[in-house]
Amino acid sequence: MRAEQRSGSLMAAPYAAFLLVFAAYPIAFALVLVFLQWDLVTTPSFAGLDNVRLLANDGRFWRAVANTFVFLSIHLPLQIATALVLALALNRPLVLRSFWRASFFLPVVISGAVVAILWSNLYATDVGLINRLLVRIGLTPVPWLTDPSTAMPAIAAMVTWKNVGFYVIIYLAGLQYIPRSCQEAIEMEGATAWQRFRHLTLPMLLPQTILVVTLSTINGFQLFIEPYVMTGGGPLRRTYSIVLYLYTNAFSYQKMGYAATIGVALALIIGAVVFIQRRVIGKEETL
Amino acid sequence: MPSVHFDHVSKRFGATTVVEDFNLEVADGELLVLVGGSGSGKTTILRMLAGLEEVTEGMIRIDQRDVTALPPRERDVAMVFQDYGLYPHMTVRENLSLGLRLRKVARKEIDRRVAWAGDMLRLEPLLDRKPKQLSGGQQQRVAMGRAMVREPLVFLFDEPLSNLDAGLRAQMRIEIGGLQRRLKTTTVYVTHDQVEAMTLGDRIVVLADGRIQQVGKPIELYRAPVNRFVAGFIGTPPMNFVDGQLLREDGSTVFAAEGVRVQLPHEIADGTGSSEVVTLGIRPEDLTVDSGDSTDAPADSIPGRVVLVERLGGTSHVHFDAGPHRLLASVSNDRLPEVGDSITVRVRAERVHLFGGDGRKT
Ligand SMILES: Nc1ncnc2c1ncn2[C@@H]1O[C@H](COP(=O)(O)OP(=O)(O)O)[C@@H](O)[C@H]1O
Ligand SMILES: [Mg+2]
Repeated sequence: MRAEQRSGSLMAAPYAAFLLVFAAYPIAFALVLVFLQWDLVTTPSFAGLDNVRLLANDGRFWRAVANTFVFLSIHLPLQIATALVLALALNRPLVLRSFWRASFFLPVVISGAVVAILWSNLYATDVGLINRLLVRIGLTPVPWLTDPSTAMPAIAAMVTWKNVGFYVIIYLAGLQYIPRSCQEAIEMEGATAWQRFRHLTLPMLLPQTILVVTLSTINGFQLFIEPYVMTGGGPLRRTYSIVLYLYTNAFSYQKMGYAATIGVALALIIGAVVFIQRRVIGKEETL
Repeated sequence: MPSVHFDHVSKRFGATTVVEDFNLEVADGELLVLVGGSGSGKTTILRMLAGLEEVTEGMIRIDQRDVTALPPRERDVAMVFQDYGLYPHMTVRENLSLGLRLRKVARKEIDRRVAWAGDMLRLEPLLDRKPKQLSGGQQQRVAMGRAMVREPLVFLFDEPLSNLDAGLRAQMRIEIGGLQRRLKTTTVYVTHDQVEAMTLGDRIVVLADGRIQQVGKPIELYRAPVNRFVAGFIGTPPMNFVDGQLLREDGSTVFAAEGVRVQLPHEIADGTGSSEVVTLGIRPEDLTVDSGDSTDAPADSIPGRVVLVERLGGTSHVHFDAGPHRLLASVSNDRLPEVGDSITVRVRAERVHLFGGDGRKT
């Protein structure tokens, strides 16, 4: 081995070790667990395909899958729209621009549990700030987290708020890549502000949009801390997410094998959904 | 008649004045070239006309309509940008037609105009490609086509050829000139390249530091530059300049500097004062090189020593020292001197230019 290669391997070693311990090993372990029954205490026993069969017929699991899809169907469009609008606003000459950018990014780095507790208070039916504002302007208060029809949308809105700063940065970076001459050319061609957005900005941001969709899909499927803290999966299990169900099986019921099976299924679902998304919106990306 | 008027237009960025009291009329159908060094304000003037830059003072009219405060889209002008500004995500066809689609022009009319531009600029085989799949020259033609299909009142070009290599630049220069003559669309063309200006322009505006130095037909600028800046800017290779003094001798006027004496004809010397400090300007092609140092040389010849010969095929450039002055003569190739040779250089005195201490033509 040449000295250069040796030092290269040496420098990559910590990362390789990290990957091995925290990615490769857990994945392998989870795959093994799928075929076991294990309560964390007694010796694991071989269970064949029992876990998989159980999962296929587990109404609660499929309920959680459906809930997560409901969450995504609200969260994704909302996330893209808010990130885009904020990025466009922050891309203009603006007083205190750095301040605004930092403000929107702040929730991204705050712990999810803290944000969840904060929003539980905001959403509170009688004393929450949101409802007090509604009452102030003459509307009736909404039981955000206790009404089955509003609980998941409320959580989706909150997650969108928490993550928007991150996606704003992605879009802001994309906006830098739209040549000034293109913007001026389309302006001279007679485009209105909306037409400029529709025919130039939005299509030019397609790579960023694909990234935002992919990342927020992966992130959204892992919805856990918010329902765990705010609703416990209720009301009527409407906010029971896949990961919350996984967590419950692992740490409330001590069914490690079954929890691992849910985890593997989740990974497969995420892979399939992202693959389909890329097929649908990615095919235009021939820039 | 779509003419363009600049009336006392000034532009300031903060405290810096970039364009000062700019007055100009561009005639209907004319191809006017704005030429000047980098930072002279050419782009700023063009962008003010396009509406992309605000006018600090003064008024701009297009077709007699005051457009000073109008946004770009209400001015009906089209611009070809230095980097073309093609929409990367659209095909050539979409690039050409977007402006018309935005203005809700009828489908058939759009197709007709795209076909017309495609035919004129030889773009048909490229219509379904994206800009990235085109060469620089092809992208340039698409940018021109995009400007053409809109049939605007005025075309604007901002250094459209500067991203092309030399050969293609010469070819595109000819294409742009030909196209403009056929379309007869009023055009303002910005370049820093005086050769481009000379070959393309019906008229040329020479700019320096945001001020007009001279406006005129190419040959006028070449023959009768009004100041030293224009004289040095127009013409390749550039004019020779020698600082010296005017002396009256036996009723005639002589330009005298160390190593350079030129007897001036009356037309040129008229109106100058004796002992006046002036700059003599001589174009390289107005110098004739004779070999050998002649001791009894005529009054209008300069003794020199060759320091460099640039052989260019047709004519060559002979660099020589006359006293402390380094001068350049453009000579035909038959009798080229060698480096180190002593030569006698004759000046076509009737073609020289005199500039006063302020740089203005005397
Ligand atoms: N947006 C701007 N802010 C400040 N100064 C500018 C701006 N645009 C151009 N300038 C200055 O104005 C002068 C003329 O610029 P420009 O019109 O681009 O010159 P040219 O096109 O002849 O090279 C330059 O000194 C340039 O630095
Ligand atoms: Mg410029």
